[in-house]
Amino acid sequence: MPRSLSPGQSALLGLIGFAAFIGFWYGLTAAGIMTRQFLPPPWEVLERFVHLLNTRFAGATLLQHLAASFERFAYGFILAAVIGIPLGLLMGWYRLLDQIVTPIFDGLRFIAPIAWVPFAALWFGTGIGGPIMIIFAGAFPPCLINAYRGAKFVEPRLIEAAQMLGTPGRRVVSEVLLPASVPSIISGLRVSAGLGWQSLVGAELIVASAGVGYLMVQGQANMSTETVMSGMIAIGIVGLLLDMALRATERAILRRRGLET
Amino acid sequence: MRQRTLIGVVTIAALIALWFLATTVLELVSPGRFPSPPDTIAALWHVMLGGYGGGTLIEHVYFSLRLVALGFIVAIVTGVPLGLLMGWSRRAEALINPIFLIIRPIPPLAWIPLAILWLGLGDGAKILVIWFAAFVPSVINSYAGVRNIDRPTLEAAAMLGMPRFRFVTEVLLPGASPMIFTGLRLSLQASWTTLVAAELVGAFYGLGRVLNVAQQDLYPGMILVGMIAVAILGWGTTRLLGLVETRALAWNQAALAAKG
Amino acid sequence: MGRISFDDVGRVFGPSNKGVVALQDINLGVEDREFVAIVGPSGCGKTTCLRLVAGFDFPSSGTVSVDGKTVRSPGPERAVVFQQFALFPWKTVYDNIEIGLRNQGVAREQRRERIGAILDLMGLQSYAESFPHQLSGGMQQRVAIARAYVLDPDVLLMDEPFGALDAQTRVVMQEELVRLARKNPRTVLFITHAVEEAVYLADRVAIMTRAPGRIKEIMDVASVRKAENWDSYERIEEVMDLESFVHMRTHIWRSLREEKAAQPAE
Repeated sequence: MPRSLSPGQSALLGLIGFAAFIGFWYGLTAAGIMTRQFLPPPWEVLERFVHLLNTRFAGATLLQHLAASFERFAYGFILAAVIGIPLGLLMGWYRLLDQIVTPIFDGLRFIAPIAWVPFAALWFGTGIGGPIMIIFAGAFPPCLINAYRGAKFVEPRLIEAAQMLGTPGRRVVSEVLLPASVPSIISGLRVSAGLGWQSLVGAELIVASAGVGYLMVQGQANMSTETVMSGMIAIGIVGLLLDMALRATERAILRRRGLET
Repeated sequence: MRQRTLIGVVTIAALIALWFLATTVLELVSPGRFPSPPDTIAALWHVMLGGYGGGTLIEHVYFSLRLVALGFIVAIVTGVPLGLLMGWSRRAEALINPIFLIIRPIPPLAWIPLAILWLGLGDGAKILVIWFAAFVPSVINSYAGVRNIDRPTLEAAAMLGMPRFRFVTEVLLPGASPMIFTGLRLSLQASWTTLVAAELVGAFYGLGRVLNVAQQDLYPGMILVGMIAVAILGWGTTRLLGLVETRALAWNQAALAAKG
Repeated sequence: MGRISFDDVGRVFGPSNKGVVALQDINLGVEDREFVAIVGPSGCGKTTCLRLVAGFDFPSSGTVSVDGKTVRSPGPERAVVFQQFALFPWKTVYDNIEIGLRNQGVAREQRRERIGAILDLMGLQSYAESFPHQLSGGMQQRVAIARAYVLDPDVLLMDEPFGALDAQTRVVMQEELVRLARKNPRTVLFITHAVEEAVYLADRVAIMTRAPGRIKEIMDVASVRKAENWDSYERIEEVMDLESFVHMRTHIWRSLREEKAAQPAE
């Protein structure tokens, strides 16, 4: 049986793990195994990160790049949710719609979101439209799938109860399927935000003239490893904050329903 | 079920007819934006017979497939044992988790520039990035797989006095395997996404290279061929993994039934 | 108003040639304001009978009608109380009870009045703003009964409503239901596998056979209840001690047991 650890023990071990990670990184650079250009020491990356926050690189400060990235992300993500969730719910209710959309969706599902880059650039340009389409391609499937599953697995008694209370067919979707699917939808949104954020980074690496991905590409072109790593840190922090926000929402909803474990 | 298949076939047929109608017959869509069916077939012949972007279709497919396979296998070989270890030992979990917490929020695609700085545009950088992408789902799901084994199963094994090695091969691994396979499927998906992105950023061969050159040449027919090739490979490798899973999990009827 | 009638009802699940026959030759009439319980072994199709009246399912042959109209869809004049309560977990007690009234287009003020009255009647006044998961099983089932009763339905369909409750709560709810039925009589079709419950609550008890489900016997409890004056007793255990009650119960038990013996393969 795995033995449980006291909170103190696990905090200590966690600290050791973290220190070992930083120590290993530092050791590699200090011992001269790796050149500074290959792997800069931890504090130089940190220094560069702070420096970039207020200094322009690749046309804007890191914060401005982040803002540009986040704006694209928000549009693509919201678009995916606004189309994917209602479509998923309706597919869960109207069988014909399900039978028509599912084969198309299954066909498109295996195209990696990033593979849409050439068409996205061709159709919507490399400014804001193209990246939004790629974020959409990444974020859309989990929105649709989770709303659909939520609607399909609603306790059938709840649908019957609504019908017996005289709720007309169309309104069963909004009054039963939607609220009953909320936990599933929220966990879909979490996956969706992660994939959308990752697609954004990919899109910006390939086609963009602003954003954190672009900053990293420019850093790479200038052989500035610190800049590239600063970009990674910024992306990680925003991704983490997004996930934390959605996780908090999820917990709040589950608590309200009495489902929290 | 039969009605479902029928409607599916009709839908796909209708879509293809619509595609034909909109591009070739009515010319609603400009050929510079989306290719017509004849354009696409011409592009397919072009890349298959004459080659495009530095090689024929078969060469590009071989190249991409090889990188995905290498990255994926390295990720499984390192990720699954680490996940099992973290699932089994609370101490290992507490030690390794913080490193994971730092690395996990960074999307795999964000490693591409660093990998290029480190290893250039060749195979090494791509395998490294695919490894990162496929590693995380392997670890997390193997870990969760161990944690999800029922307590009575573990207690029964302890009661039977099983030696450590056989305990791992006969209890831990099979018990965690449904989740491990879930992780592998996610890893495979991540591998393809990452490969395409890495090849789009910079490569000499591969399907991403085809997409990249086609984009620069404004060649919609070739873009579509590249996308379809990526989709077919993604589908095919997932199917293959599914077959392995069915074999490996033949004992686990519940897992198969749950997948429908 | 609320007369239910089953005429030569059959229900086959699956393909018609080799499907499972769930119900066969069901003929049963429930009079207006009569309380009829259906008892039978599990899997005998008693819940299917209720679902046919509710309009959740439809007969393969014969007709099910309420007040002479063939049932074609679910509706608020045939309110259902489910075994697992089926309350909407995202709505408060008040909102759960309100849905049906809103669907009927009852004005806000009237809704408030009617919901207030039913909350009082069911002893739920202080729980109006609670969510279902904050209540015990017994309280949740009160809400479900209130949700059905507030619609003033012609017919009340109860599918093992107390099956998910513990023994003590069950007794309390049975007494409450009798009180409610006296105060505000409705046509009730009550499904249960608990023989005592059926005898205690119903005017008539229909005994069903195992698959294919048929009605084997219909017992008239009301006349015995009246003759032996069961209603003069306050508590369920007093009624259950009466010789007439024991007699009735034993008869039904025996009838169900013969049913089992007739199927030696099990």
